[in-house]
Amino acid sequence: MTTATATAAADRTAPGTLTGAWRAFTLQLALYKHIWHGTVFTSVLLPVLYMVSIGIGVGAYIDPASIGGLTYAEFIAPGLVCSVAVMMLGNDMVFPVFGGYETWGGHYLAQRATPLRPVDILNGHLAYAAVFRPFTNCTIVAIVMAFFGVYHSWWASFAVLAAALVSASLAPWLFFWASSLKNDSNLNMIFRFAVMPISLFSGVFFPASEMPGFLQPLVWLSPLWHGTELARAATADVAPALPPVAHLAYLAALAVTGWFAARHVVQRRLNF
Amino acid sequence: MSYEGFRLTGMPDVNEILVSAADLRKSYGDHEAVRGVDFEIRRGEAFGFLGANGAGKSTTMRMIGCVSQPSAGTLEVFGRDPRTQGAEIRARLGVVPQDNTLDGMLTVFENLVVYAGYFGIKRRAAREKAAELLDFVQLTARSKDQVNELSGGMQRRLAIARSLINDPELVILDEPTTGLDPQARHLVWERLFQLKHRGVSILLTTHYMDEAEQLCDRLVVMDEGRIIASGSPRELIDTHVTKEVVELRFGTAHTAELAALADTLDGVGAQIEPLPDKILVYTDDADDTNAALEIRDIHPTSVLARRATLEDVFLRLTGRALVEDEA
Repeated sequence: MTTATATAAADRTAPGTLTGAWRAFTLQLALYKHIWHGTVFTSVLLPVLYMVSIGIGVGAYIDPASIGGLTYAEFIAPGLVCSVAVMMLGNDMVFPVFGGYETWGGHYLAQRATPLRPVDILNGHLAYAAVFRPFTNCTIVAIVMAFFGVYHSWWASFAVLAAALVSASLAPWLFFWASSLKNDSNLNMIFRFAVMPISLFSGVFFPASEMPGFLQPLVWLSPLWHGTELARAATADVAPALPPVAHLAYLAALAVTGWFAARHVVQRRLNF
Repeated sequence: MSYEGFRLTGMPDVNEILVSAADLRKSYGDHEAVRGVDFEIRRGEAFGFLGANGAGKSTTMRMIGCVSQPSAGTLEVFGRDPRTQGAEIRARLGVVPQDNTLDGMLTVFENLVVYAGYFGIKRRAAREKAAELLDFVQLTARSKDQVNELSGGMQRRLAIARSLINDPELVILDEPTTGLDPQARHLVWERLFQLKHRGVSILLTTHYMDEAEQLCDRLVVMDEGRIIASGSPRELIDTHVTKEVVELRFGTAHTAELAALADTLDGVGAQIEPLPDKILVYTDDADDTNAALEIRDIHPTSVLARRATLEDVFLRLTGRALVEDEA
């Protein structure tokens, strides 16, 4: 028996699912305090640059009739909100996940020595990447967009929800992928072969229907396209390509299957 | 030292078994890393696993730390089953991994507070505890620095402080001083000795014999997944080797030549052990051995008589030096 205050304060029981996720999430929150100023570029400057250079600059040459009667700025704004979510995942779910198992990072290994279980560690990281980050940084992006006069109602706020859904659908798969790699030489592939193509060919900057027919199936597979369709419906009151429930179902299915895949790999990696 | 957080209020019940293993095994595919080990660790003692790399000691520690499931046999920690109650067991353990696994981007203080959160310790209590522990490991002045700015020895001390954040009943240390310079090693030993003195139960792995001798009340020697000897450092030395050892060197002679020379030394000691660079003569009286060498007209280039150590125990039990397996 010991006298320390921490003896009384420490919880000697196994944490519940939500408690475990919250405790693991606090690490990401502590790290975010050190990097938040860097996210200002992604959340504020980047969308401003996009809107000025492409939304207004390129938009001057685009006939609104070709994009459903919207201004070009109105057309790209919802997709940009969702694109930022994808870009953030590239930062949050690749090196930080891979490094969690490695001696140069090791934060998952450190958490594993505590009452946290592998699934708590997964959920904590997902809570950060797929909930906290989109609901903070994408909200800021959406607010920045408002200054360009691209919204017409409060329904536009649902664009952030669409961005969060995109994050939730992709984050577990990125976790799965980064957890499955044995060396870091392939880590940057995700930017070349996933983040970049998804950002360019998901109907953010031009209607996906303009893509060649043989590429259409790839567009349908892209979670960013589904998110952008939902976000554009919210901000510009444009009917999405599919019934909203179909877009939602696809994103939800990706999120759920991805979570099971990620849970499988994190349990394998953290049980020695 | 003002830190009193983990001082025991009374003498620990030394009969209480914290960890017990019976025929414990762990396999990875066809490779059996731990091949049926039995041991008990009692409250308040410092218990060591001694062995070369690959001997199975770290695997055994991982099973005790509930991050690795036993393949067969029984293991109980705090009377609980690690297979089904791992989280509850880990809540009562402190772990110092070999690689520290500190978060380099966070400050020294944040590392402790965040880690405390994993155990459900409220923020205010965590901050108080962190301050106390930093005082204990003499890092208070560095509390606002990022971990990446600390030396290896300081990071090790921080990892030790972190392992104490939940006031653990058993602290597990994996190779606590590997890679540290001699001064840093002694500072870590001193802090661990303080912990031990305060009645904290300690479990450590090491391949440093002097570390095991200094810190461990009791230890087991592992080799190729098995326990080949157990007891206190003194008991192991008394049981397995003679009181003294005479080290003989013969210029540049090495392995094969020394083996041939060893054959000529039969009878000068209780046992002759040729190594790649020297010959060890186990003897109860080094003077008698030196006299016997003179009589036989054998003149090594250097003769060193010393008392027997755990290294000699390991050598006699396994037939090889620990350093051979360090890769």
